[in-house]
Amino acid sequence: MDMLLQFIANGLVSGAFYALSALGLTLIFGLMRVVNFAHGELYMLGGVMGWLATTVLGLNFFAGLALTLAVMGACGWLVDRFLIERVRDQGEEPSILLTIGLSIFLTNTALLLVGTAPLTIEGPLPNKPVFLGPVVLTELRVFAVAACAVLILAAHLVIRHTRLGRAMRATFQDPMAARLAGINTARVYASTFALGTMLAASAGMLLGSIYSTHVSAGGLVSLKAFVVVILGGMGSFAGAIVGGLLLGLAEALWGGYISTGTVDIIGFIIVILTLIFKPYGLFSTQVERA
Amino acid sequence: MRKQILAPIMATALLACAPALQAQDTVKIGLIQPLTGSVAYNGTADANGARLAVKQRNAAGGILGKQVELIIEDGQCSPANSVNAAEKLIQRDQVVALVGAFCSSATSAVMPVAGKYKTPFLTGVSSEASLTEKGNPYFFRSAETDALLGQAFSRLIVDNLGLKKVAYIGVNDDWGRGSAKAFEQELSSHGVETTLVEYFNHGATDFYTLLTKLRGSGADGVFVAAETQDGSTLVKQIKQFGIDMDVFGVGSWATSDFIKITGEAAEGIYAAVPYVSNLPGERNQRFVEDYSAAYDHAPGKYAAAGYNSLNIMMDAIQRAGGTDADAIVDGLHATDYQAPNGRYRFTAKGQGYGFEAALVQIRDGHTEVVATTRIADPEANHAKDGQ
Repeated sequence: MDMLLQFIANGLVSGAFYALSALGLTLIFGLMRVVNFAHGELYMLGGVMGWLATTVLGLNFFAGLALTLAVMGACGWLVDRFLIERVRDQGEEPSILLTIGLSIFLTNTALLLVGTAPLTIEGPLPNKPVFLGPVVLTELRVFAVAACAVLILAAHLVIRHTRLGRAMRATFQDPMAARLAGINTARVYASTFALGTMLAASAGMLLGSIYSTHVSAGGLVSLKAFVVVILGGMGSFAGAIVGGLLLGLAEALWGGYISTGTVDIIGFIIVILTLIFKPYGLFSTQVERA
Repeated sequence: MRKQILAPIMATALLACAPALQAQDTVKIGLIQPLTGSVAYNGTADANGARLAVKQRNAAGGILGKQVELIIEDGQCSPANSVNAAEKLIQRDQVVALVGAFCSSATSAVMPVAGKYKTPFLTGVSSEASLTEKGNPYFFRSAETDALLGQAFSRLIVDNLGLKKVAYIGVNDDWGRGSAKAFEQELSSHGVETTLVEYFNHGATDFYTLLTKLRGSGADGVFVAAETQDGSTLVKQIKQFGIDMDVFGVGSWATSDFIKITGEAAEGIYAAVPYVSNLPGERNQRFVEDYSAAYDHAPGKYAAAGYNSLNIMMDAIQRAGGTDADAIVDGLHATDYQAPNGRYRFTAKGQGYGFEAALVQIRDGHTEVVATTRIADPEANHAKDGQ
């Protein structure tokens, strides 16, 4: 029984982290329809930037996070304006090739800059154990789960309740009509990509302080994020949260009662089942486009 | 038109078949290591050690009166990429010998390629036992196997740590599974009870589920087979989780980098390693000085492995007196190499033995040698089993 409680706690914590790391992809893949294979690398760059800011520049965690967000937001904006824009409205294949190329470029650039060593980011709280009855957590993990909740809520509010958010939704529903209504869609696309990049980067830095990060961390993150987005439904925030938590719980219970060596199989089983039985995901609001 | 295209291709093919005919002004040796991916860090260390060995040899006049050219390819620890790298090194660069592949599964995939092209192939790292049992005459291993390491260390571990119940955790590949199995077998034969055997995937970040099971298993010691990145995360989380067990393991544990990344959580853990930079001996001292001068930090297990494997290969080519593959194989069989960590020789199957290995503990941010033991000749071992 104690084991089960701990498994559930582990699953919810790692599920919250999955949700956070998938959030940026929910925007970029789910709303913008750019199949972004560089998502994991943006996450990784967030961790590397965070490490540079806290270790090399000596900033504290929150100042480092702010700097990382600013730099990565600008990066996301530039990537969209200079790269993604060129393949917009040309179907999915060109953007897939483009983002795969981008991911290789980013990994190897980071490799040249910081090398292969694992990087540890100093967290804002100590990683000391906290005992809740039979369940063990650490202060930093509790903090990170709270930070996930805040970031998810903030992103949700931006999309639902700001002018930019309204412009985004209008643009992704019908770009032509949005342009006719006077929306600068190029700016909306770039802002969305920047926002998605910032979310990925903040996840990278936050989780880098709990685990550690290294320049090759992106691949697995991309895979899991795609699982979460497909399970939850394209472009749905609630879907990303539920999808992340379900994946985390499923992995924790499979690892706990069957074997930890085969735990990565779960994500793929989930994707296959989702595509067979609920191809638009659990929470998709989208219907087939004409 | 077609003939015009074919002619140069055939010419290249002919040249590829007859590298000996070419007047090469350098002796080319190919090295395959993971330079990206989750064990990139260790692969880079190996490549650094290899570069140092080649640089020193070239400064002393090279081999066969020529300079040695080391060509390094990224195998990413993956069988497919390592095979591509091997094909490229043999076909395009026409190397006379191959070293590397690091991960056992990758090395195992490169072996038939080396066999096909009759290229001598030496690994300084891959420790999965069956590799030298495949009857590939071009394959040699200047590293301990999991079984040899398990044999050498189980007595030391039982005596020094006094463990009764042990849990085994390994990375989910040939090496991790092989190591966990070998240590479990050896320790069981010394009367140690097994409470748990679990594996995790390369690049895993969250070990809490595994640790929940570990805590519930009632073990008083835990054996871990992992490399720097995975191992550091795992050890940190063991401490975070409040688990108070003796931690010992194999992999690159006793390096300054491991201690730096892992911090306080590294205190007190034991590592069974074939090499550590503060092994006694003058030869090792000199190696550590040279390596530190070149790379600003002390060498670890993999740097030593890269250094030793290149030296062994260059010695063998020198002994062969040419670049003929069979002569190099004979040269490898005649190896008697004085390494920083003892003396390497090969069995008829190409398995290295005779070198030292150490049980170390991390104390105050440094590795301390608790005990050393020699990797015995596995063929001789059958005779006096259970010693």
